[in-house]
Amino acid sequence: MGLADLCYRCPACGQDPMGGKGDRAWCPSCGFLAQRRRGRLFATGSGGEPTKTEARTLAEAAALGNELDKDFRCSTQAMVCWRIREDPVWRRGELRGWVETMGPASPGTVTVDDEAVAIECVAAPGDGSSGSRSGRWSHLELRAVQTSSSSLQISLPDDRLVQLRFTADSPKRWEDMLRQLVRAAYRRAGKGFVHEFQPRIATRPR
Amino acid sequence: MSWYQLVRPVAKGLSVAMTRLAVEGRENIPRQGPFFLVANHQSVLDPILVQANCPRPVHSLTKSSQFSSGTVSAWLLLRINAIPTRRYRVDPQVVRTVLRLLERGEAVCIYPEGERSWDGTLQPLRRGTVRLILKAGVPVIPCGVKDSFNAWPRWSRRPRRCRVVLRFGAPMHFGRHDTRAEREPALDAAVARLARALAELSGQPAGSAGGE
Repeated sequence: MGLADLCYRCPACGQDPMGGKGDRAWCPSCGFLAQRRRGRLFATGSGGEPTKTEARTLAEAAALGNELDKDFRCSTQAMVCWRIREDPVWRRGELRGWVETMGPASPGTVTVDDEAVAIECVAAPGDGSSGSRSGRWSHLELRAVQTSSSSLQISLPDDRLVQLRFTADSPKRWEDMLRQLVRAAYRRAGKGFVHEFQPRIATRPR
Repeated sequence: MSWYQLVRPVAKGLSVAMTRLAVEGRENIPRQGPFFLVANHQSVLDPILVQANCPRPVHSLTKSSQFSSGTVSAWLLLRINAIPTRRYRVDPQVVRTVLRLLERGEAVCIYPEGERSWDGTLQPLRRGTVRLILKAGVPVIPCGVKDSFNAWPRWSRRPRRCRVVLRFGAPMHFGRHDTRAEREPALDAAVARLARALAELSGQPAGSAGGE
């Protein structure tokens, strides 16, 4: 995780992706630099002086626009793991809640387009399945989308949960992207405006 | 002595070591009886700051993946009153656990945004959380955490010692709404009211988190 996970696209020139390490994110195209120093964020344009900025400003400038609507396709590598069971948690003889156990991670490819999300991976030994775990799910089939620390979790039909840890991409980008695509799919299908993505995708009339 | 009592001074020491912390409004915490402590969530430090500086012990809703990441953390979390909460699905067990604790006169801490903010701003509040507040009908203490994002943002691996302000607001009362038919008409107004209180206490622009 690093600042480039928040600021994944250059606020100055739109270059995507940004380079980054730790608390610094830089644009390989125009030289824009964002960095965290003593708890504050500073932005430096090409050849300019560092000026104070806000994380919100960087995030809004990096946010993806409406280009996702038509013929959009994006793919990346991720470590993929699936929930294999849920266990009860007891405290002093009382059921406190339930906890999921994720299976071992295996390398895979995640692809989204304007219709669906596809995951290609081979089942890791011990993840409770045999053979391939690949699949393609329409955006309308997804049950919930959320980031958890540095990974993205997607709830799928049949009570399945997949966790994607991106090896070379920002989880925030994928969360933003997937949420926009789900919203667009619901809009096209006349199913209302998606106003919540967790704990379940919920809609209301526009 | 409970584990909570043992860990609390350690957490308090941590909160002083990791931030220049100012706490306001401790007098707003009820001395007895059930209540919800509802806080915004900017940083991984927030639960430490809130629980260490709240004068009464609270049970805190915690994402369930924290419990599965290691047996030691699961063991400790349980002993400091964490309630595992599955965020990828509606979790009725959490509702049962929370209502049971409130019936016993205990306090429950909730972060209604559901996750840490990426950029420090207040995110839309989860409506399911506000439904639970309306169902329980106990007082709500809004708690604003200001600038913990600067101390340790979600995307950073390094904490920085910064000034952080923790403000406990005056109790809010939403009334008890037992049935869904009673809750739903009151929901939008309750979400907006709570979001306004959290925005004000955490020093953010009003209206920054009404809804998506």
